[in-house]
Amino acid sequence: MKNIDNRKYIIALIFILIPLIFVIRLFFMQVVDDKWKERAAQISENKVITYPARGIVYDRNKIKLISNEVYYDIRVIPNQMSEDMDSFAFAKLIDISIEDYERQMNKARDYSYRKSSEMVKQIPPDEFADIAPELYKYPGFYEVERTLRIYPNPIAAHVLGYMSEVDSTNIKADPYYKSGDLIGKSGIEKSYEKVLRGKKGVKYYLQDAIGVETDRYENGKYDTLAEQGSSITLTIDAELQKYGERLMQNKRGSVVVLEPSSGEILTMISSPTYDPNLLVGRRLGQNYGELMKDTTLPLQNRSANSTYPPGSTFKLLMALIALQEGVITEEASFPCTKSLVGCHNHPTARGVSDGVKMSCNPYFYYLTRKIIQQGKHKSHFVDAAEGLDIWAKYLKSFGLGVDLKTDFPAIRYGFVPNTNFYDNEFPSKSNPYGKYGWAYSTIYSNSIGQGEVLVSPLEMANIAAIMANRGHFYYPHFIKEIEGQDIPDIYTIKQKTMVEPENFEPVIDGMWRVVHEPGGTARRARVDSLNICGKTGTAENFKIINGKREQLVDHSIFIAFAPKDDPKIAVSVYIENSGFGGTWAAPIASLLIEKYLTGAIADTNKENRILEADLMPIKVVPKKK
Amino acid sequence: MRGKEDKILADIDWALVGLYLLLVIMGISNIYSSVYDPMKPDLFDLSTEHGKQIMWVGIALFLGVIVMIIDGSLIRKLSFWVYGVLMLLLVAVLFTEPINGARSWFGWGSFGVQPSELAKLGACLALSAHLSNIPITKNKLAPSISISYLVQLVSSNWKTIAILGIPCVLVLLQPDAGTFIVFTSFILVLYREGYAGNILLFLLVAVIIAVITLIVADSSFIFLKIKMSGKFGIVLALLIMGLVFYLLIRQFVLKRNRPPLYRAMIGSLIVSILFVNFVEWGYSTFLDDHQKERIDLLLGKIEDPDGKGYNINRAKAAIGSGGFAGKGYQQATLANASQKHVPMQSTDFIFCTWSEERGFLGSAFLVILYSILLIKIVSVAERQRSRYTRIFAYCVAGIFFYHFMINVGMGIGLAPVIGIPLPLFSYGGSSVLTFSLLLFILIKLDSERKVVLQ
Repeated sequence: MKNIDNRKYIIALIFILIPLIFVIRLFFMQVVDDKWKERAAQISENKVITYPARGIVYDRNKIKLISNEVYYDIRVIPNQMSEDMDSFAFAKLIDISIEDYERQMNKARDYSYRKSSEMVKQIPPDEFADIAPELYKYPGFYEVERTLRIYPNPIAAHVLGYMSEVDSTNIKADPYYKSGDLIGKSGIEKSYEKVLRGKKGVKYYLQDAIGVETDRYENGKYDTLAEQGSSITLTIDAELQKYGERLMQNKRGSVVVLEPSSGEILTMISSPTYDPNLLVGRRLGQNYGELMKDTTLPLQNRSANSTYPPGSTFKLLMALIALQEGVITEEASFPCTKSLVGCHNHPTARGVSDGVKMSCNPYFYYLTRKIIQQGKHKSHFVDAAEGLDIWAKYLKSFGLGVDLKTDFPAIRYGFVPNTNFYDNEFPSKSNPYGKYGWAYSTIYSNSIGQGEVLVSPLEMANIAAIMANRGHFYYPHFIKEIEGQDIPDIYTIKQKTMVEPENFEPVIDGMWRVVHEPGGTARRARVDSLNICGKTGTAENFKIINGKREQLVDHSIFIAFAPKDDPKIAVSVYIENSGFGGTWAAPIASLLIEKYLTGAIADTNKENRILEADLMPIKVVPKKK
Repeated sequence: MRGKEDKILADIDWALVGLYLLLVIMGISNIYSSVYDPMKPDLFDLSTEHGKQIMWVGIALFLGVIVMIIDGSLIRKLSFWVYGVLMLLLVAVLFTEPINGARSWFGWGSFGVQPSELAKLGACLALSAHLSNIPITKNKLAPSISISYLVQLVSSNWKTIAILGIPCVLVLLQPDAGTFIVFTSFILVLYREGYAGNILLFLLVAVIIAVITLIVADSSFIFLKIKMSGKFGIVLALLIMGLVFYLLIRQFVLKRNRPPLYRAMIGSLIVSILFVNFVEWGYSTFLDDHQKERIDLLLGKIEDPDGKGYNINRAKAAIGSGGFAGKGYQQATLANASQKHVPMQSTDFIFCTWSEERGFLGSAFLVILYSILLIKIVSVAERQRSRYTRIFAYCVAGIFFYHFMINVGMGIGLAPVIGIPLPLFSYGGSSVLTFSLLLFILIKLDSERKVVLQ
């Protein structure tokens, strides 16, 4: 009996032990382990991101280049849809195929019947105006506003760039971005992404079991407001840009206009161009694909991402280096012997100014030989190697083939060959000439801007600015003002070349005569009273067509600045496959200068000739038999 | 006569009454918070669960007064009658329209009664009445492992088995596995009354073997380069254990004492192996898929916090996020009516709202309060001269304990999800009535402890 009576203690022990285990377990769950608190937050709180409007982009005269506009996403909550909905009519209304509609619906249903999913996104307001009055007929579908970019002036597409959804690398690089966010993919949108994007806002909600928001978390204590991105002002002159794009229509090539006194980029054109509004919203993918397919490469930014041979414009630099090196005087004369390099018929050049004016090829062949082969060594191979490095150093001081710090993504800089290149990589990496295996006779084409040297149109415009400034430049840049921020100091620091100002005078004199004197190569660029100084160039170029290397019609090149004294503008113009530099590039440059300096065009014939010209077809030069 | 009335009132255990009222009031305040609807802020609104709960508590208190007035001996006399009527109700409920797949409700409009809740009361009364009439000496049966013993055990206790077996079968027919499990709480009573001395130890071993079986049964392992099923592994382990015992017995036990030990060993080995197979067979045959899932979730065999494990995951998150001091009254973000992350937050998962809002302080307080109530009932039981009252008290303790253990254990992941209410806390008229009456009858019987001899 006693034994059995003791069983009450066992029972009492159980009634104490189990609750004790529960209390210990509760202590761990509620006090020690944070896992469940995190889990609870994950379940019950919903973080809703509010997107800021992006910063506005203005031109130098505060004309809006990029602004924002409300677009519309259409979303769907599957279980609110009506049973007898006409899917075909709805797909037609929102302008998608029935297959796309079904695909999106399946995705939405897979995700949740009660939560909303995206049906179509980024419908432009004009299209939404047609959809809005019909939308009420389709319960379960509703619109969500979202701001996207709009380009009130459809110009400067390559400069401004475009935006698209972030990819995995963007997300990895910056945790600010979440899948589906938009990011600047090119141009200014990309280089000033962090300024323009603003700050996302966050709202914390409590959500119920099916994800519907029920209340603000802690009455919005932790919420933040979205802040619009800072607006920025570009150095671009919208008027000039627009005018330049008009001149460049039906031409392939590039125009870069700088303000020499500041390095500000007034205009950057790559032609053919496109309407930047094409690459916004839901049409982006399709339009981008079509632009990609276009054989005239409208998406390519020829001004910043292409390099060309500089052609005869390069002679300016040869003359400057020769004068600075003291290997010639400004009266130096060389005979126009056409045996080595071809030339056109002109009188003998008596002095640097003449040489520039007439763009005499043999003159610069001999002149450059004096730079490269300075006769300091007995072996002309050793001599050439030393000379070439001096030459390359000068060219780099002119900003060729070096980083110009331009605030623009993916800029391609030119190429200045040096001894290392000829020793190890020329004519091919596998079979180079080797050290002291070459001399001026191998590389002389560079003297007239052919050969291995390559420049970008932006660099050439900078050369024009250096000529205007007589020996210095400022890094070319797009940024003029950032709301609430200073622009980087590097754009206000004077960059000096290795050539003294006085050595520029004979060369600039030649450039003036190119435009103004009979026998100059760019008479078409003349505008009375503007004192335009320029230099033509004509670059041979080749293309593999049907497996054969064909010579195409030359690129027409012109760089210029004006007025001669107190220059206000520097220009480089490249017109691909259009022929002699003076024919097309020079008049286009002069029209831009005239427009910028006077605000009007006096010679409408000149303007009409350019506007009417169609230089798009790529022509092959017939081979001489 | 008057003197007797005073005596009974004086002998009422007011501490037990106090515990009851405390739990009921805490329960109502918690239900009010867990189902709070800003459109119906009135505490007594009968269209809300807290309003109904107050009504049921009112009815329970009214019945409690009646219980206090009537004579304790009447309760004893009526025990089998109450049991019989409730069993008839359990049969009758099987002919109703099923609600959520089970025939367990008699409904009138928005009110409903679950006879299976009240059946517990009936079983308590009948079991107390039956066991208290059996002389204790009759229970003295030397346990041994033989068929004749089993036959004897069943034949001498067939009434006990029937009293408990009938409601078990009837609730399983509904089906209501939760209530069935609660009926196994009477094992505690039988234990206290001297039946099967090692039954608790036996149960503990059985639970351990069952858990191991369920964990490893459907997995396989490589032993001696042969791929074997988990079940075979258990059997193998049992055989090895048997061999070890055999060697130990041979080594340390006198030869004449060996045969009964060998018999016990071989018997328990056979029983264990049969049990392993039974568990596996029962698991795969008797249990529904969702019941298997609940067991698998508890054992950690599957993890699916947003699918199959949704309920338990949300319940744990609600409790765990309460922290030390809780989120505050009506501040739950998971276990409340507007968020609804935790399902059935006013009934089966009522502990979640309480723990989320009151934190560890509150949840530990509630757990300790139940522990105090249980110990209190044990002490009440042990001071009885009447066996009837003592048995009844242990019945009440067992039922309260089971409900508490499973309901709280399920919320904190120590018990499988079995939908049974937390006594006096969960919303539910039948359950409040049943638990109230259990306590009131106990208080009444206890108040007569000095006037009743047997």
